[in-house]
Amino acid sequence: MPEQTTTTRETAPAPARGSDELLRETLKRCSKETLDAAIEFRRTGDVALVSKIVLGIIERAVEPDLVDQLKNGGDSVRFIEDLNIDSIDMIEAIMMVEEAMGISIKNEELINLRSIGDMNRFIHEKISGMESSNKAQFFPFEEVAAILPHQKPFLFLHEASLEEHSATGKYRISGDEDFLEGHFKGNPVFPASLMLEALGQLAVFLLMKRPPEELALESLESGNVYFTGADGVRCYRVCKPGDTLEMSVKLKRLRDPLAVFSGQIKVDGEKTATAEEVTLAFKREEGVKQINGENGSATIGGGVNGSLE
Amino acid sequence: MERKKVYITGIGVISSIGNDRETVVQNLKSLNHGFSPYQAFEDDELAEVKLVGLVKDFDVESSEYEDWSFPSQYRIRRDVLRGLAPHGVYAYCAMQQAIEDARLTDEDISNPDTGIYTSSAGSPKILTYNVNRMRHLGPMRCSPTAIVSAISGTLSFNFVASFKILGNSCGFSSACASSAHAIGYAADDIALGRQKRMFIVAGEDANHESILPFAGMRTLSLESDPEKASCPFDKNRNGFVSAGGGIVLTLESEDEVERRGVTPYAELLGWGQASDGHNVAISHPEGLGLSRAIRMSLSNSSIKAEDVDYINAHATSTIIGDVSEGKAITDVFGSQGLRPKISSTKAITGHGLSLAGAFEAAIVCLSLRADITPGSAHIRNLDTQFENLNIMRESESTAPEITLSNSSGFGGANVSLVFKKISSP
Repeated sequence: MPEQTTTTRETAPAPARGSDELLRETLKRCSKETLDAAIEFRRTGDVALVSKIVLGIIERAVEPDLVDQLKNGGDSVRFIEDLNIDSIDMIEAIMMVEEAMGISIKNEELINLRSIGDMNRFIHEKISGMESSNKAQFFPFEEVAAILPHQKPFLFLHEASLEEHSATGKYRISGDEDFLEGHFKGNPVFPASLMLEALGQLAVFLLMKRPPEELALESLESGNVYFTGADGVRCYRVCKPGDTLEMSVKLKRLRDPLAVFSGQIKVDGEKTATAEEVTLAFKREEGVKQINGENGSATIGGGVNGSLE
Repeated sequence: MERKKVYITGIGVISSIGNDRETVVQNLKSLNHGFSPYQAFEDDELAEVKLVGLVKDFDVESSEYEDWSFPSQYRIRRDVLRGLAPHGVYAYCAMQQAIEDARLTDEDISNPDTGIYTSSAGSPKILTYNVNRMRHLGPMRCSPTAIVSAISGTLSFNFVASFKILGNSCGFSSACASSAHAIGYAADDIALGRQKRMFIVAGEDANHESILPFAGMRTLSLESDPEKASCPFDKNRNGFVSAGGGIVLTLESEDEVERRGVTPYAELLGWGQASDGHNVAISHPEGLGLSRAIRMSLSNSSIKAEDVDYINAHATSTIIGDVSEGKAITDVFGSQGLRPKISSTKAITGHGLSLAGAFEAAIVCLSLRADITPGSAHIRNLDTQFENLNIMRESESTAPEITLSNSSGFGGANVSLVFKKISSP
């Protein structure tokens, strides 16, 4: 039987802060290429090395069968959903990123680092000392619900991630929605009209929480954004309880007081619904004429030309 | 309220005398010890201790889980391993054994009527490593699992999460009586109908940081000859040999035993506990707490002293502790002219600290199933203070009907467990 081995590493003094030795120790479980890149980065500050180092660090926390996805998935690969990395892995990875890049990452910054792309962008910003307008901000359900005027049972947004002119969001069809009892009897199908509503809510959230810089606004008041039209709406797939609507909207045009978005919904990566245009009207301040006249939350107004069922 | 019957239905053992039940039974029959020199002590000129009851085929010597290895028949996911202490690895493998042994399904394990009680001293090794890192590099360079893998609740945190335990869970901390306490309280939970099934999980590291501080208390034997190092009741005993490992027991109600159609190892008839109120680290010289614990356990089991056939003693091979226990046994049994068989299996296993109560309960159960009574090894010259006790030098090939198992911990915490052999159908 093998005897137990012993090491004296634990009793040796830890390497000095900021030393190459500490960097080597910190990245000792990563590939040699990763360590070499980190050492070179420390010498040259070459930002082209960042993504290589990030990939090498994340790879360590990824189960072998997911490594391909990490390496070939590009910036859109998400830590939790795609790589099965939990928050404890993330903290370990962050520790290595901090040591390798000579930066520090705050708790409130961590929540926005949800994909490889987020991480790369974030590090670039930290290194260059600039805030990029591209940074995605993540909002969990509690924040979405606190900000949107829509509430249960008419809130169709469980989380959102906002960038400067675009947003992504999710709604999971639980099956408990009341209207599914009658849509249809014995065959619950999420109504296509509500898919459009959900896209509208995501666009409203973007406009309220992160109005485009051109508007020179801090934020819009709750209840000051209304749905006013949709064009070119197509549905491709029936959605059932258990499906998660993966929504995205992009700002196409901004002409005060109208904002026009394109939108699409996927389920499990499969094209589900598209809207060429979703138009919102917003009220910037007291006294500005309200476009839609109606009061109330974003209900679908006129101008729906799609093939809604 | 009538107490329901409680049975032991599954055993997992990773220990100094074997990593499976068969090997442990073989070593109990032949009284082979599990001691060997420990490299880390040989390399440390300040460590005068020579022998340790090491677990074989595991390497958990490093402070970082990535370096660990364990036998390939066990599977531990990386996201579980990173939260474990070295002894958590032993216990995790023992848990897999016990689940298989008791033939438990996932549904049997994860339900509101199944709980887990654990005991471990935590991992001074992992704690030291991370505290050193924190001092040199700051808290942000310490592992996020530093706390859950090091503090004394580590087995509870990890096992409740990994095995999706939904019933009662907590840890017991009464030093060398810890896992005996865990068994007692788990038995009460089942007897009172609060739970149907309880896991007892006990574990201890065996490394520099966990063992050597006991040398400072002068409780460890410094002998290099295993037979002289751990020899409870011998005239020349001079301290215990420390041991690591992981032990898991499954306790179940009579209803569950019947429903699942399993044959238990033994019935846990009852238990008792009492405290010395005497000294922080030394047993009461007259064994007062332990003799009361024994009496409580007999009454809790509704049996009399004359019903006890065999006592698996706590006796660790220390000068004071063994005498204290001898006096307690004399007080309860000898004073009535009773001479139950007595042995200390620590002569071959070493002392696993908070592992001890569960380990010895496992030894009792395995002995009952194998129809043996383990003897007390390594006695060359019986200390005359134990002359009136019926100490067995060799293992016997019959099993006792009723067994008492004693455990005593720092602060004078004493626990006695009573086991009954399952009568053949």
